[in-house]
Amino acid sequence: MLEIRNLSARIAENGTEILKGVSLTVPKGEVHAIIGPNGSGKSTLAYDIAGREDYEVTGGDILWNGESIIGMEPDERAAKGVFLAFQYPMEIPGVATMTFMRSSVNAVRKKRGEKELTTPEFLKVIRAKAADLGVKDEMLKRPLNVGFSGGEKKRMEVLQMAMLEPTLAVLDETDSGLDIDAIRIVSEGANKLRSPNRAMLVITHYQRLLNYIVPDRVHVLAHGRIQKSGAKELALELEKTGYAEFKAKAA
Amino acid sequence: MTVTLMKTKAEEQLAAQFASTAPLLPGGAWVPAARRAAFQTFARQGLPHRRIEAWKYTDLRNSLKDAFPPATCASRTVDDAMLAQALGPALHALPCIRLVLVNGRYVAKQIPAGCEPGGALHCGPLSAALGQPGYEWIEPHFAPAGDGDAVMALNAAFASDGIVLRVETGHKLALPIHIVSIVDASAPMTVATRHLLKVDAGARAVIIESHVRLGTSAAQATAVTHIGVETGGEAHHIKHLAQGDGSTHLGHTHVEIAEGAVYRGFQFTADTSLVRNETHIGFSGPDAKLDLSGLMLGRGRDHIDTTLVVHHSTLGCESRELFKSVLDDRARAVFQGKVIVDPIAQKTDGKQMAQALMLSEDAEFDSKPELEIYADDVACGHGSTVAEIDPAMLFYIRSRGIPKAQARDMLIESFVAEAIDKVEDAAVREALMQIARGWLAK
Repeated sequence: MLEIRNLSARIAENGTEILKGVSLTVPKGEVHAIIGPNGSGKSTLAYDIAGREDYEVTGGDILWNGESIIGMEPDERAAKGVFLAFQYPMEIPGVATMTFMRSSVNAVRKKRGEKELTTPEFLKVIRAKAADLGVKDEMLKRPLNVGFSGGEKKRMEVLQMAMLEPTLAVLDETDSGLDIDAIRIVSEGANKLRSPNRAMLVITHYQRLLNYIVPDRVHVLAHGRIQKSGAKELALELEKTGYAEFKAKAA
Repeated sequence: MTVTLMKTKAEEQLAAQFASTAPLLPGGAWVPAARRAAFQTFARQGLPHRRIEAWKYTDLRNSLKDAFPPATCASRTVDDAMLAQALGPALHALPCIRLVLVNGRYVAKQIPAGCEPGGALHCGPLSAALGQPGYEWIEPHFAPAGDGDAVMALNAAFASDGIVLRVETGHKLALPIHIVSIVDASAPMTVATRHLLKVDAGARAVIIESHVRLGTSAAQATAVTHIGVETGGEAHHIKHLAQGDGSTHLGHTHVEIAEGAVYRGFQFTADTSLVRNETHIGFSGPDAKLDLSGLMLGRGRDHIDTTLVVHHSTLGCESRELFKSVLDDRARAVFQGKVIVDPIAQKTDGKQMAQALMLSEDAEFDSKPELEIYADDVACGHGSTVAEIDPAMLFYIRSRGIPKAQARDMLIESFVAEAIDKVEDAAVREALMQIARGWLAK
């Protein structure tokens, strides 16, 4: 279970307060969505779960399976099962996607006390999962994300997620920049990972993605706080009314 | 203004060394006079210093306190174990034709069984060719009159040997040629080598030039390479430097590219304390291509200077330069890239880029691009960047479970690989990548 308790955070560089007391619980086996206007702190929340230093936690706590993960290195969190699918995946020139993923999978397996995969074992697994997501072999040989289209990058994020088999998956605006076909493919990939042992947090600006990844619960994040929580219908409601209600609150 | 300087200790040592060594150096006919003239050219100006614009960042007069004695003529042999140790396993394993010099003297030629190039390739020691009939083509490049460069002059005065190589018209060599200069000494010494290489019309060759160390002692090296690529020919030239701690390498590469010919150069420098790598490129015919790149790896107090002069003097030639540096501790890299486009050289297409990755706050990168464009219908540009490891990229990799140190290495390797990827020959590229990885792992 993911428990976020009264979390506040700021941008380390300039001290801007972004999160002002976020509380949230996602039990295992459930998919929760976070929706909210631009600049509400959605990505900051995602980064704080994954451990990005420049989004500095100033108060509260994040517990995963009862253990505080604040202060853990990003790679330690990954070993504990935390995965963040980035809104803007990084391009890493000169490192072949295949090589990167193998380093990643084996680093995590090693820390989890599992046997590292041999090259043939790894290839077998990645080829099968890549095929499910329509990722071609040729793409795996190219440097990670370099020259990939927006859709290809997002597919690559979901492929990495499938390879690492996280128990807590955070998807940050995975639908942004995608056409409807790409959204379907990416969502199918994410839906395959739904399981009783896994918690998922889907962050999105639009309700659209939630037609494909149907959440158990929806939270509205605005002005650094959860303003409202409800069943999946809440997202549909907001699609009609917009975020005006929450904007007005601050004014 | 002429500044008259007192002779330094090193300059006085060099004069005494020339007097005692010159009679022992190879070359009949015109050669002794050319050596004397070259030494006088050097003696008149002395060691280059920071008040000379081209040496602004590399003050040789100040940093070269002692001129090590010239290597002696003692005959040497070389075996596989020595080569493996000097080159490292990756480069040693490269299938190639290998020409080996030890302490500035030609020692051996190794050709894999069944790979004899026959009439396609003529190669041998400079010492046997200097002033000999049939080698008139090397004369203009040995000690060109009017060349005032101090390093060129010193090298012409002292050059004890080198490789003379010619790839005959139309022949495309299947194997790379690897010219290895090893310094194997237990006391400091100076070596001066000069390679004169020619790729004839329509021929193709991959030539690797290594300057490495075996012994425990530091070396000072001057190394001049002249490469002519004739009409429609293609030369791939990799210069690999690893002369060790305390060593100085003063290199000068001259390239002449004829009509429709291609020169692809790659300069790889690591593990050498003080390096000046100067390269002059001339185009002698239209529609020729230059692609010159390099990688400078520095740590400790390494000082690596790459100085280029690319002279477009004919129509429609293309030049590309990409130089990358990775600098740790108090290391310093210098990049001076001058591109001259004459009024006649219309349709010139030139691009230059210098990038440094700083691993320490005390490292320094000096970049001086200079474009002198006198033609009006050209496309020329240059860029220069200095960066640290990107924290956002580091976080991305670590969020995938990869520990910090490994993630950092991955990013440095990624930066390095972008330069090494310019090497077309896959086996050579992989060997260089392994050497770079070895350096990074130290």
